[in-house]
Amino acid sequence: MKNFYNFKVNNIKGLSAQEKEFRNKELDLFSKNGFPNRREEAWKFTDLNTILSKNFANIKNDYISLNEKKFELIKEFDHNYLFVLDGNLVSNEFKFEDKNKVLIKDYDYKNQISASNQNSLNLLNNALATGGYYLEISKDYKFKKPLVVYNHFSESIKEQIISYKNSLILNENSELTIFNYTDTNSKNNFFVNSFDYLKLKKDSNLKNIFLNKERCNCYFHSYLKNDLEQNTNLDNYILSTGLKFNKTDIEINLNEEHAKSSIFSALSLGSEEHQEIKTSINHNFKNCQSYQKIKNVLNDQSTGVYQGKIFVKQEAQKTDAYQLSKALLLNDNAEFDAKPELEIYADDVKCSHGSTSGSIDLNSIHYLKSRGIPEKEAYQMLINGFLSEILEKLPENDLKRFLIKKIGRQINGY
Amino acid sequence: MKTEDLKNSQEYKYGFTTDVENIRAPKGLNEDTIKFISNIKKEPNWMLEWRLKAFNRLKALKEPNWQKPKYPKINYQDLYYYSAPKSSSEKPTSLDEIDPKILETYKKLGIPLDEQKRLNGIAVDAVFDSVSVATTFKDELTKKGIIFCSISEAIQKHPDLVKKYLGSVIPLSDHYFATLNSAVFTDGSFVYIPPNTRCPMELSTYFRINASETGQFERTLIIADKGSYVSYLEGCTAPMRDENQLHAANVELVALDDAEIKYSTVQNWYPGDENGVGGIYNFVTKRGACRGKNSKISWTQVETGSAITWKYPSCILQGDNSVGEFYSIAITNNHQKADTGTKMIHLGKNTKSKIISKGISAGKADNMYRGLVEVKNKASNSRNYTQCDSLLMGNKCGAHTIPYIKNNNSTSTIEHEATTTKINEEQLYYCNQRGLDQEEAVSLIVNGFCKEVLQQLPMEFAVEAQKLVAISLEGSVG
Repeated sequence: MKNFYNFKVNNIKGLSAQEKEFRNKELDLFSKNGFPNRREEAWKFTDLNTILSKNFANIKNDYISLNEKKFELIKEFDHNYLFVLDGNLVSNEFKFEDKNKVLIKDYDYKNQISASNQNSLNLLNNALATGGYYLEISKDYKFKKPLVVYNHFSESIKEQIISYKNSLILNENSELTIFNYTDTNSKNNFFVNSFDYLKLKKDSNLKNIFLNKERCNCYFHSYLKNDLEQNTNLDNYILSTGLKFNKTDIEINLNEEHAKSSIFSALSLGSEEHQEIKTSINHNFKNCQSYQKIKNVLNDQSTGVYQGKIFVKQEAQKTDAYQLSKALLLNDNAEFDAKPELEIYADDVKCSHGSTSGSIDLNSIHYLKSRGIPEKEAYQMLINGFLSEILEKLPENDLKRFLIKKIGRQINGY
Repeated sequence: MKTEDLKNSQEYKYGFTTDVENIRAPKGLNEDTIKFISNIKKEPNWMLEWRLKAFNRLKALKEPNWQKPKYPKINYQDLYYYSAPKSSSEKPTSLDEIDPKILETYKKLGIPLDEQKRLNGIAVDAVFDSVSVATTFKDELTKKGIIFCSISEAIQKHPDLVKKYLGSVIPLSDHYFATLNSAVFTDGSFVYIPPNTRCPMELSTYFRINASETGQFERTLIIADKGSYVSYLEGCTAPMRDENQLHAANVELVALDDAEIKYSTVQNWYPGDENGVGGIYNFVTKRGACRGKNSKISWTQVETGSAITWKYPSCILQGDNSVGEFYSIAITNNHQKADTGTKMIHLGKNTKSKIISKGISAGKADNMYRGLVEVKNKASNSRNYTQCDSLLMGNKCGAHTIPYIKNNNSTSTIEHEATTTKINEEQLYYCNQRGLDQEEAVSLIVNGFCKEVLQQLPMEFAVEAQKLVAISLEGSVG
């Protein structure tokens, strides 16, 4: 079969000989197996190789960003922002914060941090990544307003791979809410492969929200590696819908006592969208907590996948871990796949998981219809009710209202 | 060299059938070995061809490597693929020669002395002659038209049935161990229940002649014709002495319209010693097809033995309204590793499946539930309920759950629940307070934990299985 991609390290400008060597080595490792397919356990339900080869003729990595795009600020609530165009940090504004407490700069590729499990897309990211940002919050500083990352992609991108890395460090006792807002004007197909490293130092607190603005022809793979120290709290909210393909791979390492993490997701998928959330929560120390709740509404020919893994080390006694995935299937062509996995080596733990999938309860529809609510509205009410359990958990009032409105539009748009 | 061996051994072919016992196929896995097995069993040509086809397929297959428990590489050329029952001179002559530990376990299980002897391959006197017991039962079965015999006998006497169903559930080109079995299987059971017949008794390998030496590559085929019912028991609670390290059995079940098959297993092969040395590798393929409407297949298993167990009794729910059930207790202690679960594949409309799995892990053992529930596009109104609970005893063992769930139908519902905990200290305390010692208390609580599965076992098994659960965990607390 003809290759549908053509990647060259030489397309990246300004690399030292040493960097070139490292990147070429990583690219060779990737090229050995190419894009992952079903034969790899981590991609059991998502055959990326087939998906990409069907939708791309020749993906390249030689796009040069034009740096001229203006963007629309969200008016509904006050916020700080980073503007990231095609993976490159273009501008930033922290007008609500003490600027001395925030360090923002371009990502430094001299000391790359890669994921602990070398999956092939991380290898590819190591080889091709450019741009990205490095953000550090000083000790004891608590953000007054949320930080919005406008993740914008240019209109002219076509048949390209965009790779970048970001890094976020929260120092002791700091606090931040970050809202990753992805948006593109492009109607063309392109592939984004990102790697984020997040470090939460002692007593820090982070809320990490993901949302996509419009439907687009974008294929997304993002890997998030989170290291949590003592007494930290990390909450993830994944709300992205509308992407052609999206796989969010989250690794959370609970490395010290009383670290807490949660993942909430409310997804409503339609047309041929394919969304996967893969998590691996590593309980490496005693007295840590993790919580996951994933809800999918699937329509048309969409596919929702959830692969969650809880790993409890032998010394991680008193672990409390919970995992729940629920799906509503609205169409016989929609599909939901789940693999909620437990791997436990400590005995004094409380670990459980649950997974359900099914259709909307027709008795409930009948109940609503008998009270004069049209069928379509009845469906929407029940779908909203199904997802609201997650949406209610969203932080910050103004931001929450904004997010619920956006998601509401996506749900009712179907 | 090898061909010479073969020639020498083939001299027995027309000789004295009574001495078949001493025949052994030459070592190694090759066409000659397969021809040898087929020849010695006087199989018709189509059977040999079938075996060779499997062998050809095997050449292209690789051993699976996705399982968690790893095992040292098996040299397939260094194994004997056919060895008839040993002659009496090699067998132990009295119970004094048996490992006293095994005898102690028998005592606890309350197994009669004669049966103890039989289990250890000691020639049994006339009082307890399983052969005569078997014949009386056989008469009753024959009257009803039920066929219950060894698979070799069935190949001779009922070739039409065997041809039609053998390999129809587990095809020749399935995974490595299943294909290996198809090429070299030596014996096993064959059951056929005619239409609208209810088998009057629990069928068991126990009552079959030569049952104790079915060998390491066992093949079982059970067919329940329209409207029939059968309950089949396999294995026994007593520890089994066996020198073959690799066991790769295939079990195929076929249920036609309105038929029901209940298959119960108690497996207690040698698990290796406290340090994890030795023990059986139990790599079994069990699969049932609910072909007909309203058919039902129910698997119940109690797995306490073997060093490594890979076993996924599955149901293919083809017929509309068919039902699949899986009840399992897997207990691992010391260095045992179990990777077991089920597959429920919903193809027909209104199909239902239920999975109850209880895993108990103690010592340094690893216990894994791995299962697949798949609802295909056309399986409207299907329903699945899965519950897997794990119990950990001590902090050196592991308990894992890997369910694969695929739902492709909007009118179907899948539910999955799993928990992992240790024994509740309050319950233990409560029992201790009422005068039960630690071990009795644990056994009581564990039996309660397993109750939902133990209830599914036929009466004669259930009582022994309860004791077995307690014995398997001995020494793991305190």
